[in-house]
Amino acid sequence: MEPIIKEIHTNVMEGNVTSVKANVQAAIDAGIPVSDILNDGMIAAMAEVGHLFEEGECFVPEMLIAARAMQTGLALLKPHLKNAEVVSAGKVVVGTVKGDLHDIGKNLVAMMLEGAGFEIIDLGTDVPAEKFVEAVRNQGAQIVAMSALLTTTMPSIKNTIDALNAAGLRGQVKVMIGGAPVTQNYANQVGADGFAPDASRAVATAKELMAT
Amino acid sequence: MNSRERVQLALNHKEADRVPLDLGGSGQTGMHVSTVYALRQALKLDPPGTPIKVIELFQMLGEIKPDLQDALDVDVISLSGRINFFGFKNEGWKPWTTFDGTPVLVPELFNTEPDEHGEILMYAQGDTSMPPCAKMPNGGYYFDSIMRQLPFDDDSLKVEDNLEEFGPVPDDELEYLKTESEKLYAETDKAIVLGLGGMAYGDIALVPGPTLKNPKGIRDITEWYMSTVTRQDYISQVFERQCEIALENLPKIYAAVGNRVTVAWVSGTDFGAQNNCFISPKAFRSLYKPFYKRVNDWIHQNTTWKTFIHSCGSILPIIPDIIEAGFDILNPVQTSAANMDPTVLKTRFGDQVTFWGGGVDTQKDLPFGTPDDVRTQVRERLQIFGNGGGFVFNPIHNVQAQVPIENLLAMYETIRDYGRY
Repeated sequence: MEPIIKEIHTNVMEGNVTSVKANVQAAIDAGIPVSDILNDGMIAAMAEVGHLFEEGECFVPEMLIAARAMQTGLALLKPHLKNAEVVSAGKVVVGTVKGDLHDIGKNLVAMMLEGAGFEIIDLGTDVPAEKFVEAVRNQGAQIVAMSALLTTTMPSIKNTIDALNAAGLRGQVKVMIGGAPVTQNYANQVGADGFAPDASRAVATAKELMAT
Repeated sequence: MNSRERVQLALNHKEADRVPLDLGGSGQTGMHVSTVYALRQALKLDPPGTPIKVIELFQMLGEIKPDLQDALDVDVISLSGRINFFGFKNEGWKPWTTFDGTPVLVPELFNTEPDEHGEILMYAQGDTSMPPCAKMPNGGYYFDSIMRQLPFDDDSLKVEDNLEEFGPVPDDELEYLKTESEKLYAETDKAIVLGLGGMAYGDIALVPGPTLKNPKGIRDITEWYMSTVTRQDYISQVFERQCEIALENLPKIYAAVGNRVTVAWVSGTDFGAQNNCFISPKAFRSLYKPFYKRVNDWIHQNTTWKTFIHSCGSILPIIPDIIEAGFDILNPVQTSAANMDPTVLKTRFGDQVTFWGGGVDTQKDLPFGTPDDVRTQVRERLQIFGNGGGFVFNPIHNVQAQVPIENLLAMYETIRDYGRY
C-alpha cells in the first residue's frame, strides 16, 4: 500500500479533516488510482471505525468526526469517481419516518453506508410514506433504510412498507429498519427485509440485502 | 406512614410499608398529556372533553393533579421554577387540541397556529419575530429543537456564548420557590422533588438553546457532540463556568426551600444510547464527573437533599462514576438497553444508589405488550429492585402517548397489589 493511502486511513480514523483534504488531493495529483484511495484509504478506515464502535471501543462523537473526515475526502474524490473503475455498492434511500425528527442515528447510518461505497439519497426527517415511494420509483434505489426513535412513530415504518406494497414497488426494493425501540422481532412483524442495531451493522445488513 | 417518610426510607435503603411511587415528580417521570387525559377518563375523574394542562411543553407532559395522585397513591410532587423550556412562563392558559384530538390547555405564549406544512412551531420567549426554536411535526406528539447554528470559526468562539442561558436565579423566582415549597410541604405529605435548573452539563435537549432568541456559540447537536472530543478545552471551560454559577445559586435556593425538599433533581444529560454509552466513559470521567461532584458535594455538605441524575440508555460502565460523583438516585434505569439487567444492577449497585425507574419497559411492553405482560414485568421489577429499599417505582422514562390504558391500569394495579413489603 502507498504510504499516503495509509496516512489517509489514519486521518479518517482520527477525524483529521485538514490532513484528509491535503492527503487525498496529493494522492489524486500523484496519479494514485482513485479506487485505491477510496477502498484502501477511506472505506477501510470507516469499516474499522465501525468495528470499534460495535466493540464499544469508539463512541458516537468519534464516529461523527471520522465520518466528517471521510465525507471531506469523498467530496474531493467524487469528480474523479465517474471516470474511475469504482463500482457503487448500491443505491440506498435513507430517512427518518413520518412524525419523527431525530436524525443523529439516521445520519450515522447514511455516513457509514456512504463510507462503505453506497450511493445515498437522504430524504431527511419526518418523511411521509409517499416520499419514500417517490424516491424508490424515480431514483432506482435498491434499498430503503428507515429509522424511528420514538415508540409513537414506529407505526410509520409499517405504513411506509404498506405504501411501497400498494405502489407495486416492494418486489424491486429491500427494506431495512432501525432506531432505538426497533428490534429484529419488529422487523419480522412489519415485513422488513433487514434490521440493524447500529450504524456499523447497518452496513453489513445492506451488503447482505444487496447479495440476496 | 406518610408519603414523605416512605420515600425517605426508600432513599435510605430501608424497606418502608410499600415501594413508593412517582408520577409527575420530574420531567422524566411524567406522562404525555394525551395519556393523562385518557387515564383520567378511564378513572372517571373528569367529564368527557375536560382539558388537561400541558405543564412541560417540549415533551408535552400533562398535569398530574391531586385527585389523580390520590387515585394512584403517588408519593412525590414536583417543585420547579416557572420559566419553561421555551423561555416563557406557564401562565395565561388557553385551549388547544393536540394532533391526536386531545383537549388541552397551553400557556398564552404557546403558538397554536400551524404553519403551511401543518407543523406547530415554537418561539423562544414567545417572540414570533425571531426564527422558531422548536417544531412539532404534523401529526406528532412532541417538540424537537430546530438547529439555529450561526456560522463560527474556532478563533472567534467565546465561552460566554454557550453560557447565555445560565445565570443567577432571579429574586422573584427564589420567592416563588420559598412560597411554593412551604405550601407543598404544609398542604401535602408528599416528598418534594426540586428541579434544579442549569446544573446538567451538556444536556443535548438544551444545547440548541431553546430558551434563547438568538443562541450563539456551539448550538448544533452534531457539532456539540464532536466538540466533546475535538474542543475539550472549550467544553470544559463552559462546564467550569456553569458549575461556578450553580454553586453561586445553590445557597440562595437552599435558603428559599430549606430541607422541605427531599430530592434535588440535578441532571438530565443522556450518557447512554441503546447499545452502549453515548460518549466514552473516559470523557465522562474527565469532562463531566468533576463538575457533578462539586455540585453534589455542596448539596451533601449543606442540605439533607438526595441528588437525582437521569440518563437514558446503556450506561453500566459509568454507573460507578455516577456514584463516585455523589449522586444518590439514578433514573430512568433503562433496562431495555444493553447490559442493563435489573438483577445485575441491583446486586452491584443496590446498596449505593436508589433506582428511581426501571419499573416497566416503555419501549416495548407498556406500549405494545398485553396487560399480562405488564403485570408480569412489574411484579418482577418490584421484587428485584424493591428488595431492601432503594427503589422508587416509575416506568422507564415518561409514559408516552398512545400507551393502551388497560396496560397502564395493569401497571398501577400490580404496584398496589404487589408493592407491599
